[in-house]
Amino acid sequence: MSRAETSPASLYHRLVVWLLFAILLLPLAATLLYSLSTSWSATMLPDGLTFKWYLALWSDARFLAAFGQSLLVCLGALLLAVLLILPLLFVVHYHFPKLDGLMNILILLPFAVPPVVSSVGLLQVYGSGPLAMVGTPWILIGCYFTIALPFMYRAITNNLQAINLRDLMDAAHLLGASTWKAALLVVLPNLRKGLMVSLFLSFSFLFGEFVFANLLVGTRYETLQVYLNNMRNSSGHFNSALVISYFFFVLVFTWAANRLNKDKT
Amino acid sequence: MSFLSIQNLHKSYGATPIFSDIDCEIGQGEFVTLLGPSGCGKSTLLRCIAGLTGVNGGRILLGGQDLVPLAPQKRGIGMVFQSYALFPNMTVQQNVAFGLRMQQVGKAESAQRVGEALAMVELGDFAARYPHQLSGGQCQRVALARSLVTRPRLLLLDEPLSALDARIRKHLREQIRAIQQELGLTTIFVTHDQEEALVLSDRIFLMNAGKIVQSGNAETLYTAPVDAFAAGFIGNYNLLDAEAASRLLGRPIGGRIAIRPESIRLGGQGGIEAQIRSHSLLGNVIRYRVEARGVELLVDVLNRSAADMHASGQRIVLNIEANAIREVA
Repeated sequence: MSRAETSPASLYHRLVVWLLFAILLLPLAATLLYSLSTSWSATMLPDGLTFKWYLALWSDARFLAAFGQSLLVCLGALLLAVLLILPLLFVVHYHFPKLDGLMNILILLPFAVPPVVSSVGLLQVYGSGPLAMVGTPWILIGCYFTIALPFMYRAITNNLQAINLRDLMDAAHLLGASTWKAALLVVLPNLRKGLMVSLFLSFSFLFGEFVFANLLVGTRYETLQVYLNNMRNSSGHFNSALVISYFFFVLVFTWAANRLNKDKT
Repeated sequence: MSFLSIQNLHKSYGATPIFSDIDCEIGQGEFVTLLGPSGCGKSTLLRCIAGLTGVNGGRILLGGQDLVPLAPQKRGIGMVFQSYALFPNMTVQQNVAFGLRMQQVGKAESAQRVGEALAMVELGDFAARYPHQLSGGQCQRVALARSLVTRPRLLLLDEPLSALDARIRKHLREQIRAIQQELGLTTIFVTHDQEEALVLSDRIFLMNAGKIVQSGNAETLYTAPVDAFAAGFIGNYNLLDAEAASRLLGRPIGGRIAIRPESIRLGGQGGIEAQIRSHSLLGNVIRYRVEARGVELLVDVLNRSAADMHASGQRIVLNIEANAIREVA
């Protein structure tokens, strides 16, 4: 370690890393500064600093509604995913290991079809008829579930393969546990890590999803990204405050999730 | 009256038979080893006894009760796995208590029995640790305690030592044997390691390709292999076909023979002219590769002193005792 720190090569390495950081952070820093400035147009630096854009944003009922609706849709989709994927994974890996190959292809489908294309299909199927859900949050929950599926399936599969499922189940059975009890007491607690990681990943991703939200539901159930899009013609300072708020929320959420995950293991 | 009786047991996966017509009797308190190469069906047989794998026919009687229709939870069988199969989310204490928890044994009694079981495997101080904080040998001892705490009628050990390093393996196998004898527990041990089988067992069932080839105590198996497979699997028998055997011994031999490498004497008066090809030092034994009359033989000699060592290329005479020559099918 100390050898690397003193060599000239390490200086170069650190320089590259810091440069990369700077490039990535510069737009964000500019946005942050813009969101805090009273006005900033013809000068090198903003005229003055203010919190009024944030105050305006966080007292805007439409923003708060969109924020809550985004949360609701994401959490709903993830809840559905957990309820469906955990039993599915257990069945696939414990009873029908051969299905894993098929599942691996199936879970790639949401990636293979671009959102713009699949939303056209979804509009056709769910636009009218017995399953008319377009314009309601339900279709978003269902749609987001398919997006979360690959993340969750892969992460939990890796987790399952690491714990030697079959031997654990066999041992639990011989000690008198029913399959249900063994799954609940022995397998599930050991999947916590994979489950948590994939949930946070999916959440961050879904919270920023725009294409499906805009095409399938639009303003009828406005999510955060759709709100951001609809507000694009309002003040740039206001929008910057919105972007920074959004970014800050995801950052805090991810950080908290990481902490929570680390402490227990 | 045998305690465990396996009758006509048959198992196949689709059209592929794993084993068929397995019959064996095991007495109460006996330590029996299923020995065989990988893929011979020994582990599957063990899993069938445990109920983790179904059978296609036959009966498994334990104390007169047929186990085949019973779920594994109801069989009263303890099992230790090669992979330990400890529950990673539970402490040592919780792992060992799991079986009692499933039987809804009271807290005080459970704590006492767990304490006893952990003391038996000398892990009393490790109750609060998690499996990932233990070494392989300690993990396997926890697994052993976990399977003993429910007081099973039968203990199954599926290659429990295979994942451990040599020194710990020797120590643990002595511990397993001591505990088994102390509890008088009927035990079936599966291994592919002949040394383990010979050291531990009251009786060994040698298996090959889904059949029990030979059964008997260690001495019988070692000195009197019934066929070429048994001779090839146990010890380092020199297997010679009829033609090579006739040439070596200078008299007509009807069939295949097996000669144990340690029953051949190097030097002495008379005997067969031979030449040392190479030698390897196995510690207390020197293993020579010797050529005599166009036949290559392994000869094991006790390593008494470095001065006795024969160099490669040296000419020598061999003496083979008549009763060490065993005809095998």
